[in-house]
Parts: sequence; C-alpha cells; structure tokens
Amino acid sequence: MAGQSPPLSKQPSLDTEKVLPKWLEPLFLLAPAGIWLGLLLVIPTLLIFELSLVPNIRPGQVVNPSGLDNYALIFDDIYQKVVLRSLSFAVSTTFFCLLLGFPVAYWIALIVSKRWQNLVLLGFVLPLWTSSLLRSYAWITILRPTGVVNSVITLLSSMTHLTLPPLDILNREPAVLIGMTYSLLPYMVLILYASLEKLDRRLLEAAADLGATPVQTFLKVTVPQTLPGIAAGSLLVFITCLGDFVNPELLGGASSMTVARLIYNQFLGATRNWGFGSALSMILILAVSIAIALLIKYGDAVPKK
Amino acid sequence: MSGCGWTLAEVRPVQAGKGKSDELSLYTWTNYVDPPLVEAFTTQTGIRVTYDIFNSNEIMLATFQAGKGSAYSILYPSDYKVEEMIELGFLSELDHTRIDGLSNILPQFQNSAYDPGNRHSIPISWGTTGLIYDADRLNPGPEDWSFLWENLDKLERRITLLDDVREVMGATLRSLGHSYNSTNPQQIKQAYERLVTLKPAVASFNTDAWKEQLLAGDLVLAMVYSADAVRLTKDNPDRNLKYVIPKSGTSLWSDTIVMPKTAPNPEAAYAWINYMLQPSVAAQITQRQYFATPNQAAYDQLPAPLRNNTSLFPPDEILANSERISPIDPKILALYERYWTLLTSS
Repeated sequence: MAGQSPPLSKQPSLDTEKVLPKWLEPLFLLAPAGIWLGLLLVIPTLLIFELSLVPNIRPGQVVNPSGLDNYALIFDDIYQKVVLRSLSFAVSTTFFCLLLGFPVAYWIALIVSKRWQNLVLLGFVLPLWTSSLLRSYAWITILRPTGVVNSVITLLSSMTHLTLPPLDILNREPAVLIGMTYSLLPYMVLILYASLEKLDRRLLEAAADLGATPVQTFLKVTVPQTLPGIAAGSLLVFITCLGDFVNPELLGGASSMTVARLIYNQFLGATRNWGFGSALSMILILAVSIAIALLIKYGDAVPKK
Repeated sequence: MSGCGWTLAEVRPVQAGKGKSDELSLYTWTNYVDPPLVEAFTTQTGIRVTYDIFNSNEIMLATFQAGKGSAYSILYPSDYKVEEMIELGFLSELDHTRIDGLSNILPQFQNSAYDPGNRHSIPISWGTTGLIYDADRLNPGPEDWSFLWENLDKLERRITLLDDVREVMGATLRSLGHSYNSTNPQQIKQAYERLVTLKPAVASFNTDAWKEQLLAGDLVLAMVYSADAVRLTKDNPDRNLKYVIPKSGTSLWSDTIVMPKTAPNPEAAYAWINYMLQPSVAAQITQRQYFATPNQAAYDQLPAPLRNNTSLFPPDEILANSERISPIDPKILALYERYWTLLTSS
C-alpha cells in the first residue's frame, strides 16, 4: 500500500482557521455527536459492563462488582447451545439472503433498462416502509396451521383428491429463518445492487471476446469485482440477525431460544438475572463489534488482485 | 454490603411538580381497564385518571424499578409479587382509618399469608389457573393435568403454557402428586424431566397470545388464568370453549391494589381504593371483566348465573385441593429458574 497514494497537496487554508485554533475545530464539529454518543451509548455500555461483573444481581440490590462469574455461566452447555443456535440462524439467513438477493440485484443492475431501474428498486425496498413487527405478524398469518398456506393446501387437496400434508412450521426453526430472510433481503439487494452498478462492463465484454463462457465470466470477473459488496451485504445481514429479537420471539415459539431472547428473559422475562443478562449483552456487543470491524476492513476495500 | 456501589434500579420519589391533586396515575393489568368505571370515578370525585397497562407481574416490577415507578399512585400486583415488593420496601402501609368497606372482604382474603391483615394491599379479585380447550376439536377434554401427557400424540404444537416458571413447574409438580410450592430438589428435577417430555406439544409459552390462536383453531388447549378463560368463553358464545380446573388441584391467585411509597398523589390513591371497595363497583367488575370478587357484599349483588358459575367461583372441594403460590427460598428459586431456562432453551 505504501507509495500507492501520493502525499496530498496542501489544501488552501480555510477561513475558519483564522478564527479558531487548529485543535478546536474538530472538537467544535464533533462535540454535539460526541456528547450524544457519550451519554447514550458509551456510559450505558459501561454501566452494562459493570452490572455484568455482579453475580446474581436483582433489582433493588447494591451493585458491587466482584468477578467474572456471569461470564463463566455462558460456558454452560445449555447457553452454548443457545449461542450456537443464534449463530446458525445468522449464518443460514446470510446464506439465503445472498442466494436470493444476488440474482435480483444482478437483474436490476445489469438487465433492467435504465428507465425502470429506480422503480424496480423502489418496489423491492417498499416493504421496509412498514414496521418490522408488522411484517413478522404477517408471516404468522401466512404460516399458522389455519393460515394462508394451509388454506391453499387444503383447497388443492380437495380439488385434486390428493392428500397433501399440511405445512406445520410455525413455532419452529424454519419459520424463524423465513421471517429473518424476508426482513433482511432488501438490505442485501440494495448493497449488492450498489456494487454491481459499478461493475466495469468492458471487462465482461473482454472476457467474452477472449473466449470465456458466461459461467466463467460470472465466476472469474463478476464475482471478484463485487466481492466487497458481497462481504458488506453478508456482514450487515449477519450482524442484524445476531441481534434480532422480533422474528425468533414471534415465529419461533417454544423451540427457538436465541441470545437476544435469552437477554430479554434475564431482564423482563420469567427468570430474571440482570447481571447474567448484562454479561450476555456484552458478549453480543463484542461479537457485533468484531463483525463491524470486519465490515470496515473488507466491505469497501479495493478489489484484491 | 452497605457503603459500596450503587443500588440497582432504586425508586426515588419525584419531588418537583409533585402530583397534581386532581390526577391519578394507575399501572394495571390489560384486562382491568374498564372505561365506564373510570368515567364514573371522575364524575364522583373530580379526579382525572390516566393509566398504563402491563401483562405480567415481572414486567410491572421491572418497569417500576427501571424509573417509571414514581409516576404511579396505584399498582395492581398479584399476591406473591406483593410479598416481594413489601420485602423490597416499595409499598406504603395503608391507613385503614381512611379506607371504608374493608369489612366486606371475605375473611380468608383479609388475612392472607402474603400480606397478613391487608397492611399493604387490598385484594380486588381472585381466580384459579386451569386449562381451556376447544371441545369441538378435542373430545374428550381434560379433567386433570395428566391429560396433557396421556394425549401427547394429539397435541403436537397445539397447546400453550403460561410464560411463568412457578405456574408451569407448579402444575407439573401437582400432576406428580407433589405440592405446587415444592422445595424438594428431587421432586423439582422430576417435574422438569416430565415437562421435557411435554415440550413437543408446546407451541409457545405465553400468557395472552393464546386467545386469538385458540379462536383461530391453531391451538386446541391452553393453560390459562380463570378470568381470561371465562371472559373468552362469554365473548364467544358460538364456540364450544370449556374451562377446566384440574382435579388434582391447582393454584389460587389474587390480584391486589397497592400504593407505592413514592406515590405522587396518595389522596387520590385512597379515593380509588375506596371506590373499588364499593360493592356495586366490585360487582360491576365481576360482571364485565369476569374476575371473581373477594367482596361478600358485591357477590350478593351478582345475578344468580354468575354466582353459580363454577369456573368463576369454584366449589369448596376444589379450593381445598388448591394452593396459593408462595415465595420460596432464593436458592430453591434459582433451581426452578435453572430448570426453566433448560426447558425453554433446549
């Protein structure tokens, strides 16, 4: 990387430099957002961290940090299972979003005529205008035993005289996956679209001229060029899934405890332990931070050769 | 423990702008909201009422402690929560000289274990925990808790249980012939193991959402509180819904009115308590919201069909068989909670 970027030529000095000392300028510009973040993000996170060091604390007790017991608890088999389940939901949702999102983004970016592009894109993002809670409830209506899907199945069975088995997936893991994938697909498509839009089409033509099959062109030219977009989209979906509470809670029933639901239970549910809940929150914050760091490092990087 | 650190979720009274004398703020259960009664109260006393609602004792206490507590002059905790809140020092002692009509409360509700002598709380309603089922889809229906285990094949993801450790574990303990409040680790483990075998039948653990699912036909049976069950049955006369109190016994609960120490407007709180103790008001609550009343004078005013409704006012032999959920030692409670987490996380 060294030597790749020449030293920037000195900018002509701005007027403000005469009024404000140099060190004050960034402070002045950053202070409002800084205070906001400090009060509403940094301090609360530190408080959560302090609480996470108090074993078995319940409301009304004195906060007296005394050790890492809460963190040790996370290594309990049952919580490991919950963490793994959350991770597997996040990984599978990312996979399905990529699988379903890439063709759509490809189609919008490269095949749809310029005139319709924005309209098609708008149509695809339209569901984001309604509340995520509402969208999850809609899936309940669709998937429930007496819901839309099963009504259609019953109708088909009666018309064809076949006995089609009813679809019974609400309150099970597939329903959660469907809900999460549906919720996050627009984000994946938007990011992939932005990446595919920038695709250098001359390279595609060159590949074709030099005898590459469409599949080879796709795998060797298109995919490597959009890799930052794929990484950004995947990480964004992954991060959001990891912290998703609504879909597992509404669609997962008694069978799909995730980290987010477990945290909720520690604070407001049937078994309350604010200290353990805080420790779980810290772990979740840590995992998401790592994912965000990866996103910054790989998401917008120049395509690797 | 003193001196170091800060107290988690301490509730302090609000000093500035301390309660306008003509306003009363309540925090109550979803099902207790009854606009005509509130309007009549405002007409009688000139006090305007605002309320927030909750759907579990745990959420009520958490909200109370997380900072909103000092906004309310009246809360509606259930029996065991009253005891917990007394221990936490949140509840003010009621001045009985300012309360009229306490003598109408049945004796067994005047001297309950959770708050002897009604020093901090006034019982407003009571009921049982049981099973509601759709008799058109499930025939024969349950008579006891054991029905659930005997009919596992018919119930796959067709039932819900309450989202409550003590109720669900207690019912299972009861089905094994133990106490709802067992403190014997062996028995608690046994109950957990029995619940694990029931898991395939459980669609979800919830306290409210079952109503709509049962009506739609997604569920055939739900573990519920009697007041909710009686109300749903009355609101849907065209459906063949039945509420059953399990033969081997169940839990009895009461909901109460309490006044927190941090109440911004104690005057209005006493006015509300006195209003709710009026026999005609208590009778209206039973008639419209289907909560059993602990108020003898109100009971006498009820129409005969309600008085004879055994789901609402169960016969004495069922009551004799049932228990109140009582607070237990924190170590044993931790055991309950550990099994609950295992159950809900697996």
